[in-house]
Amino acid sequence: MRSNDSTVPRAVSKPPRKPRGIRQTMSDLHIWAGLLVGWFLYAMFLTGTVSYFKDELSQWMRPELAHQSEVPDPALVAQRVASQLAILAPGSPQWSIGMSDARNNTANAFWRKPGVQGRAFENATFDPSTGHKVAARETPGGEFFYRFHFQFHYMPVLWGRWLAGFCAMFMLVAIVSGVITHKKIFTDFFTFRWGKGQRSWLDAHNALSVFGLPFHFMITYTGLVTLMALYMPWGSDTAFKTPAERQQLTAELSAFIQPAKPTGQKAALAPIDDMVRQAQARWGRDNINRVTITHPGDAASRVSVSRGEEGRASMSPQYMLFDGASGKLLSTKDSVGPAAETRGVLYALHLGRFGDLPTRWLYFLVSLAGTAMVGTGLVMWTVKRRQKLPDPDKPYFGFWLVERLNIAAIPGLSIAMAGMLWANRLLPVDLLKRGEWEVHAFFIVWAMTLLHALLRPAKKAWLEQLWLAAAVLALLPLLSVFTTHRPLWQSVAAGDGVFVGIELMLWALAALHAVLAIRTSRHAAKLRPSRREAAGRSAATASAGEAA
Amino acid sequence: MIAALRRARDLGPLVSRIVAAVFGGYALAALSSIAALALPMRKPEAVLTGMLASFAIYAAAVVWVFAVRSALRAWMGLLVAAAPLLLAAWSVRAGGGA
Amino acid sequence: MSHLAILLLCVFGFAALAVVMERHQEDLFGRPMVPATARSLRVAGWAALLLALAVAVRAQGWALGLVSYSGHTSLSAALVFGLLIVQARRKGRR
Repeated sequence: MRSNDSTVPRAVSKPPRKPRGIRQTMSDLHIWAGLLVGWFLYAMFLTGTVSYFKDELSQWMRPELAHQSEVPDPALVAQRVASQLAILAPGSPQWSIGMSDARNNTANAFWRKPGVQGRAFENATFDPSTGHKVAARETPGGEFFYRFHFQFHYMPVLWGRWLAGFCAMFMLVAIVSGVITHKKIFTDFFTFRWGKGQRSWLDAHNALSVFGLPFHFMITYTGLVTLMALYMPWGSDTAFKTPAERQQLTAELSAFIQPAKPTGQKAALAPIDDMVRQAQARWGRDNINRVTITHPGDAASRVSVSRGEEGRASMSPQYMLFDGASGKLLSTKDSVGPAAETRGVLYALHLGRFGDLPTRWLYFLVSLAGTAMVGTGLVMWTVKRRQKLPDPDKPYFGFWLVERLNIAAIPGLSIAMAGMLWANRLLPVDLLKRGEWEVHAFFIVWAMTLLHALLRPAKKAWLEQLWLAAAVLALLPLLSVFTTHRPLWQSVAAGDGVFVGIELMLWALAALHAVLAIRTSRHAAKLRPSRREAAGRSAATASAGEAA
Repeated sequence: MIAALRRARDLGPLVSRIVAAVFGGYALAALSSIAALALPMRKPEAVLTGMLASFAIYAAAVVWVFAVRSALRAWMGLLVAAAPLLLAAWSVRAGGGA
Repeated sequence: MSHLAILLLCVFGFAALAVVMERHQEDLFGRPMVPATARSLRVAGWAALLLALAVAVRAQGWALGLVSYSGHTSLSAALVFGLLIVQARRKGRR
């Protein structure tokens, strides 16, 4: 039945080969496309999965901020933050304020640095009830995993995005070739079973791939769409030669209005809350996303108030444009062209911000399955080839490399992510550049897992890292008890769904790693006798080397 | 030396396909995103349509390159697909902006 | 509440369709199924899946409904698959 069980790839130098069938070539393409970028894809998938709850994670990482039982009125929040920005960045030509909402107990803002050439921005996080900067530990919160997901770190943003796009394109090819290879994908729909050894890895990979296929295909294609202006600028560059012309396109994509030429004539910024109230009348009290203000304090000032993301499966711009000095409504953008709306829908599908809580959980679970799909694929590569190694203790370099990178990339990443949360709880609050140090901690821990994976015997490294991941995840709620004023029982008593949800999830993920560790140790314990004989070593040496 | 040459000869088609897939596929997708400007719609709409479709074209080109029987066929297929797109793109540039 | 209904309908639908597949009939019942039963189960299975879609669209509109339906079908298919595995292992243990 196993229709896509590939035979040993034939050595290139053998004379006349009969032409290989399409399923065989697609299988090879699938394996190479997956292997070459698999570690990046796994990291993108896992950080992306976690990002569906990034706002909740950010809350958990700022335990000083109280649980928000009611969402503050966005009109008031916008006004408060705007008043603060008048003190922080008075000369700036462009402010953009993001509202707090049911999932997010902070407001954020970024602004163009006044007097700096080119695009230089600063940002800050604000307490929605006062408008002042948050009085909480400096941390990137869940935003770090979100940004890492599509632009990585320690490299120019553009390079990171190109790398992500490159990997996404490989993923798209892997999906298409995977479907072609698995021709009986629908007739086989429920017939894969839990086999043994190599079979069970294939079955798991197949099941995870097939059951989540609509999601995996959608998430990959829409991921490319979110950055398509970067990857395929040619049409835009051909059609639009001047910035003014390019505005035609940007207006279809975003509510982030650009500053026009300032008049130099001073005019106080009209009350922001009145403008937001008009938008609330149109879209609902809590359905406000961002307020962008250009040239505050100048007569040429403009304010755009954009519609919230909930309940609307599209990111295409819908906003109300006001005159900043008088507060008068100038125009309302309600719709865009069909291609722009398609792009808006695809973008929204990727981010999944439109959904209610159950939908968000579905996104999270299926995305986690996608992560496991990539992981099982990577492991399967070594499992299949281990059978054919002449001496399992001295594999060829390619095998050795893949095996070790798998360890650092899979359980190693879990340990690193947990490590960042440990840093969030342990780093001194007044440490300089504390937020950056949380990120450094993530990478330092990850590097250590790589070192561990390179130095230890492979099976031991797998087990040790899986158990370590289980431990560091499970201990986080306990760590919170000792380092914060938000122990789990208090969160339960207070009805704080966010803190309870995060900490229970940490335990659930810890349990998952523990289960994987147990299965791995059982698998290591029973090895086929034929393999030991083929290796030509004594049974005693073999069992000593392979004991978990 | 002979062995190295033989290995190079054997790997040649594979390398050729990889080039065709990675670079040829991208070129085809980029070309199609320009050719999309010839579509009868407003410029921003045509630009976006081209961008949205480009990844499907890239993926299809890569699958084609590895599915066909020889590296030569792979390249020929890309060129055949590119020809009408080149014409459309040319007409866009010649016709100038709308 | 509608989410629960959609999920349950999908689980039932996939379970019915899975049971009807020949391989599983052998494993589950030890003998092939009466064709009439098989046919009605197939109809019931597809009907449940369509009904789940209708519930989703009714509750959330086409856009959000299609999205959550897609998520529910993935999850429920995986659940039914898991149940089949559990059942097969229990049987294997005799």
